[in-house]
Amino acid sequence: MKFIRPNDMEGLFQNMEENNDRRYFLAGGTDINVQIKNGVIKNAEIIYIKHLKELNGIQIVKDDIVIGAVTNITEILNSKIIKENLPFFQRSLESFASPLLQTSATIGGNIANGSPTADVVPLLLVLDAKLEIVSKTQTRIIELNNFFTGYKTNIMKTNELIRSIIIPRKAENGFDTYFEKVGSRKSLMISKVTLAGLKNISHSKFTTVKLAVGSLNEYPRRLYKIEEYLTDKSLIEINFLKVEELLNEEITPITDLRSDKEYRYHVCVNLIRTFLNE
Amino acid sequence: MKIKFILNENEVSIDVDPMKRLLDILREDFGLTGTKEGCGEGECGACTVLLDGKPVTSCLVNAVHIDGKEVMTSEGIAQEPLGKLLIDCFDETNAVQCGFCFPGFLVTSYHYLITDGEKNPDKIKKALSGNICRCTGYQKIFESVMLACERKPLISTDQVN
Repeated sequence: MKFIRPNDMEGLFQNMEENNDRRYFLAGGTDINVQIKNGVIKNAEIIYIKHLKELNGIQIVKDDIVIGAVTNITEILNSKIIKENLPFFQRSLESFASPLLQTSATIGGNIANGSPTADVVPLLLVLDAKLEIVSKTQTRIIELNNFFTGYKTNIMKTNELIRSIIIPRKAENGFDTYFEKVGSRKSLMISKVTLAGLKNISHSKFTTVKLAVGSLNEYPRRLYKIEEYLTDKSLIEINFLKVEELLNEEITPITDLRSDKEYRYHVCVNLIRTFLNE
Repeated sequence: MKIKFILNENEVSIDVDPMKRLLDILREDFGLTGTKEGCGEGECGACTVLLDGKPVTSCLVNAVHIDGKEVMTSEGIAQEPLGKLLIDCFDETNAVQCGFCFPGFLVTSYHYLITDGEKNPDKIKKALSGNICRCTGYQKIFESVMLACERKPLISTDQVN
């Protein structure tokens, strides 16, 4: 195992110039240490990044909230900026892993690790979050929704990393919010189905609907077809058979040791109903 | 890699593999075997210690993470007045059976006591939700922390005096 602790961003980029498929970044360590223990990661190059100040902290930048990638979940839960601007996001993160893991686990790590069950991703998707991806020579901003390409894969090259997560400051303003993570217990729960939703209603019609699911595909995603179908309809105009049909097109639940695919599908349907009826 | 940190209020330094787990550093290099390895994956809480005053599972923390930081283990907490109070309360309510998870519960309960300490069952349950006990069920553990919250003001007064 090769270990690198760069002193600053310049040192970090110098160490990232060469392509290396076995390069891993160490921030909070809550995922990588489990993978090392289980032998999934071995003979790797590990670059420590938790101490780099450019990757830490929560700031307001114009109309956005910018959260450094290695900011941990406890910091977000305690942040006054997040409390004032994104209270739904903050509240929902209380169900992240457990209080002990929240202290170490980082928001960028939860995204980059790419788990289909990642707790923060469905929330960030309905908040229209973007990622700032940096390399030595360029910075690009991409929508989180375009970040994942498959199971645990994403669009980043090996010379890039996530510097920050950008959330519009008014992402929650004027919306009814919904977040439900379904699993077998409250703490340390790996989700079976997660649904995050935002809606607003005018003259009893849904004017905007944003829905995102986790644990139902290779990676968490927005349910655009259902959003489109629901928009400009009132509750009585909605044909739930149609919603179920569209859901079938948008999700590909699997049967694994936590649950089976039929259960996941039906729970998701019920969560969408609850979200719309609340 | 040479690292320096504060361990139970003493400054220490050690030359160590930067990826070595804090759990192993405590047990192997410092002989502090109160910190237990249960699952080794951050799910059971038996290896909980305070890192800069916040509870973490030391099986998922590496040497590089603790450089320049402050680590407090169950042994250190057991020397503190509120740690002693908690141990007495665990004892009184028979909260401990096999004892394996107990150092982790002590650390997390101590953190709750110093940062909040309200005698509120819901808050206590949430605070302890990252620690697992396979013997007792949790009722007696919650009761003992409730008792410690009740008695905390007495301890604090003693300290001031």
